[in-house]
Amino acid sequence: MSSEWPDTLAAAPGQYAACGRGEEHGLGVHWEVLLGITGKDFTIIAASKAAMRGATVLKASDDKTRALNSHSLMAFSGEAGDTVQFAEFIQANIQLYSMRNSMELSPSATANFVRGELASALRSRRPYTVNLLLGGYDEIADKPTLYWIDYLASLAPVPYAAHGYAQYYCLSLLDKHHHPDIDFAQGMKILRMCSEELKRRLPIDFKGLMVKIITKDGIREEEYADDQNVAVP
Amino acid sequence: MIPPPDGGACVAMVGKDCVAIACDLRLGMQALTVSNNFPKIFSYGDVHLGLTGLATDVSTVSDLFRYKVNMYRLREERNISPQTMANLVSSSLYERRFGPYFVSPVIAGINQTSGKPFICGFDSIGCIDFAKDFIVSGTASDQLFGTCEGLWEPDLVSCACSGDMG
Amino acid sequence: MVYSGMGPDYRVLVDKARKVSHTGYKRVYNEYPPTRILVQDVARVMQEATQSGGVRPYGVSLLIAGWDDGIEPEAEGKDQEEHDEEKKKISGKTGGILKGGPSLYQVDPSGSYFPWKATAIGKSATSAKTFLEKRYTEGLELEDAIHIALLTLKETIEGEMNGDTVEIGIVGPPEDRLLGFEGVEGAQGPRFRKLSPQEVEDYLTNL
Repeated sequence: MSSEWPDTLAAAPGQYAACGRGEEHGLGVHWEVLLGITGKDFTIIAASKAAMRGATVLKASDDKTRALNSHSLMAFSGEAGDTVQFAEFIQANIQLYSMRNSMELSPSATANFVRGELASALRSRRPYTVNLLLGGYDEIADKPTLYWIDYLASLAPVPYAAHGYAQYYCLSLLDKHHHPDIDFAQGMKILRMCSEELKRRLPIDFKGLMVKIITKDGIREEEYADDQNVAVP
Repeated sequence: MIPPPDGGACVAMVGKDCVAIACDLRLGMQALTVSNNFPKIFSYGDVHLGLTGLATDVSTVSDLFRYKVNMYRLREERNISPQTMANLVSSSLYERRFGPYFVSPVIAGINQTSGKPFICGFDSIGCIDFAKDFIVSGTASDQLFGTCEGLWEPDLVSCACSGDMG
Repeated sequence: MVYSGMGPDYRVLVDKARKVSHTGYKRVYNEYPPTRILVQDVARVMQEATQSGGVRPYGVSLLIAGWDDGIEPEAEGKDQEEHDEEKKKISGKTGGILKGGPSLYQVDPSGSYFPWKATAIGKSATSAKTFLEKRYTEGLELEDAIHIALLTLKETIEGEMNGDTVEIGIVGPPEDRLLGFEGVEGAQGPRFRKLSPQEVEDYLTNL
């Protein structure tokens, strides 16, 4: 009977602390950086540009995000193949909703839809191993939004978030410096602190960050210089 | 029975003509806290359901019961009573006997017909634990057990009942 | 539950009603369905037979009687006098959670169903209903209700009426005195009983 469970759950249920998740088995998965920060009127989504397979960097300008509609953006990391497949499946369905109904799904509805798909996949024959950040701007509440979703389909609305090892470096920085009403310049400043810390402490080169911003005007890519060296004490 | 990977804490208690139910708000992986805004108590009319365990199943199970209770309310034109809810939770969890949701639910509510308070707890496959006094669940259940055993007494009034968990 | 129409169809419906009240209700909620829910389930079975291919509709009309836990009509009246000016109460009249007591439904082959205070089905239903209309009053006692029911039957059916040709079933609050024992905590008496031919005979002689 237990063979019907998804591998991730059957392996050793004890290791999943709850309200949370366990270790992934895919190598290199943890090294991918996903970062999200909300502020007064914006959400920043940053993702590392390295596409890795084992010990090899295949690409240094990888885009780990997909726009779902004009006001929500999904960043993803996880097992190669699953990620883009799942993201584009979600993207297609959210766009289909927009076309059919001539209106866009709100960020919270989008997040719960994504969670539902991931959760039903989790207990299927082959689950998706994908971690997600869903940045958006809720035009009705006039507020930026950010949702943290992991491959077990745990969903949490958060003011700032990260996935992979980046969590251990960035969440403490964000705990200290983040406020709900920071302006865009302050948000970018905190992001800079995070990326410098990652460059300083992560043992691999993640090839810099691709940064996208969601505001009431939509999604845009932000120039993000990451060629200067960071001093390591 | 495989015990669910606990997470979070939940306690329900009976007092004089009242019940109280409380939970923590943390979502985390081992030592890392991901969110401090993850409620584990869900209200369905007169009944309150606390869910500790695997976060994804907390959401899945709470959504499932929102659906089931809303359908019940439409069909029967009345709110579900805590006792009926307890049996619904039990049968729904046992349906997944060989691939359970990793949650330990707790129910608290007042039966509007009899006016009597009601609490109960479950394991992850739906075995009901009827208790007259209190129910604890989650990673902190041992500590909550101790606290409740030490401080609970019959006919606590509502403020004392909730203050207990402060 | 009683019927008028084709006996074999009725037996099938009784089987289905018993089955659905367990699979669709008792095994989920560990309690039996309220009368209205059971009536809806039976009505659904009958409606589906009117719309499905390869089957014919059930050739029966049903009367389904039930007794539900909750606040009974009389008690509700008393309650409202006591809490005269208090905030608006959830009343049984709206079909809220507190609604209890006796109920009677008629279900037709089409799947439509109606609640009644008193009614009749079958060949001479119209004249029986006219008769009942004259005799029925609110708050009938059981003995009077049986009396009126038998009178109605006598007026409208042909053939002899005796203990073997007439059946009387009573649905009411749990009758603990019929348990046959005492002192077991939580034991509830039967809510349904059928009068014996001898009892029916007694009522008939008193007509």
